[in-house]
Amino acid sequence: MNIIEIENLSHRFADGTIGIEDIDLKIREGSFVVFAGPNGSGKTTLLRHLNGLLLPTAGSVKIAGWPLEKNLLRARQLVGMMFQDADSQIVGETVCEDIAFGPENLRMERSEIAKRVHNALGAVGLNNLAEQRPHLLSGGEKRRLAIAGILAMEPKVIVFDEPFSSLDYPGVKQILSSILTLHQSGHTILVTTHDLEKIIAHADRLIFMNNGKIVRDGSPEKIMAEAETYGVRQPYASRLGHKVMSWLS
Amino acid sequence: MAELTVFSFYPGTSLVHQLDARFKFFFLIVLSLICLHTSFQGLAALSTLITAVVWSIRLPLTYIIKELRYFLLLIVLVFVARTVFSDGMPDVNLGIFSISLNGLRNGLLICWRLAFIVICGLAFISTTRSSEIKAAVQWYLTPVPFIPEKKVATMMSLIMRFVPIIFDQAKETMEAQRARGIENRKNPVYRLVKLGIPLIRRTFEHADELVLAMEARCYSESRTDPPLISHKRDWLSLLVIMVLCIALLLFRFI
Repeated sequence: MNIIEIENLSHRFADGTIGIEDIDLKIREGSFVVFAGPNGSGKTTLLRHLNGLLLPTAGSVKIAGWPLEKNLLRARQLVGMMFQDADSQIVGETVCEDIAFGPENLRMERSEIAKRVHNALGAVGLNNLAEQRPHLLSGGEKRRLAIAGILAMEPKVIVFDEPFSSLDYPGVKQILSSILTLHQSGHTILVTTHDLEKIIAHADRLIFMNNGKIVRDGSPEKIMAEAETYGVRQPYASRLGHKVMSWLS
Repeated sequence: MAELTVFSFYPGTSLVHQLDARFKFFFLIVLSLICLHTSFQGLAALSTLITAVVWSIRLPLTYIIKELRYFLLLIVLVFVARTVFSDGMPDVNLGIFSISLNGLRNGLLICWRLAFIVICGLAFISTTRSSEIKAAVQWYLTPVPFIPEKKVATMMSLIMRFVPIIFDQAKETMEAQRARGIENRKNPVYRLVKLGIPLIRRTFEHADELVLAMEARCYSESRTDPPLISHKRDWLSLLVIMVLCIALLLFRFI
């Protein structure tokens, strides 16, 4: 079943700049898709249409069979988004409070909120930091907190916008491990990146974007060698003709 | 890892942390008003109370002093102005300025009151989550006609959310400018402009990002607010504060 169906999607910004143009895309439930492309290629603009942060200038987006505009709240509940700058995503005074933010917006009962916060804390391994102030967390912990905030809303699709930017090696491993756990638990994972090296070993689909358009779409093994044609660095192992290894191995 | 400003929530388990936000908000207003109507003895009593509160919530004192250094500078300026420009027979003549005992007394009293109010605000903010403050403000405004209580409360909580970010950003911008030799420019207006413009721009950018992040998590005015439940300790605290305030007022008129 396709969880996301996009037809002829275009978005033009207020100043006339074209963000994305004529995008047709279907994403199967439970898949792991990497969107790669240089800065300004339209990756973030495309993904912001999936939970209605941006609305189409033309075309349509369906989430789990429902047109996005018909029920924005439902779309935002189904599609969780982790932003590039985790700091801007944190709204709570403590880790717990930040995770509770989404369920509180969904007007859930206190007991249900407490349960979801507890589960989300456990899922990202932040139980011992539940009462910590988010601003004092490390970069990797902040991103895990952002993931927990999304998980508490129980989405089906999770979008990661450049999840590894400005992270050190342990931070990258922590986030990568969280992403894989989420995928294994049945979530559909969409990741944008301009650095394939860290993530591509786990993806089952690779989409290259350039100038607001999808320019190549296929399995990573088949199309990874074309990366540099589209302004993305080809992983070193792939250049040498080897299989790209996971950063967790 | 970012540093926090002192004006942000400081998790803890003290009695003040556990009090209902509505009561704490009421105490803040009442104590601030009472301190304007008391003299030195009354202020001494109120200051003892707030010192005990600050001690109980375990705020690092050296950090408070460091963070409030600009406010302390303001207090010194107010003190000097009140001392020099108050009415009364001059006791000491310093050229064109004269200092009276009455002026000294006035200056000290006003500065003490200002410092007391700021410390009360600090104690309130350090022990109350912004979501609780939002819920308390909303609760107080609900019976007031023509005021959209949810909007006002949301705006208040967002302002509080932004204060630490603005401080952080200001610190970062200042460091970046120091690294490029801004200290060689002695004109304070030039330095203020060079700090202010990028700071305002970044603050608005942060605000945009925050709005997107909140929208992505289904933010609306109608949400599950923290439960506001008053306990025995809240009513006992109210009793103590009210008795203290009445005693201070009576003492003033005797």
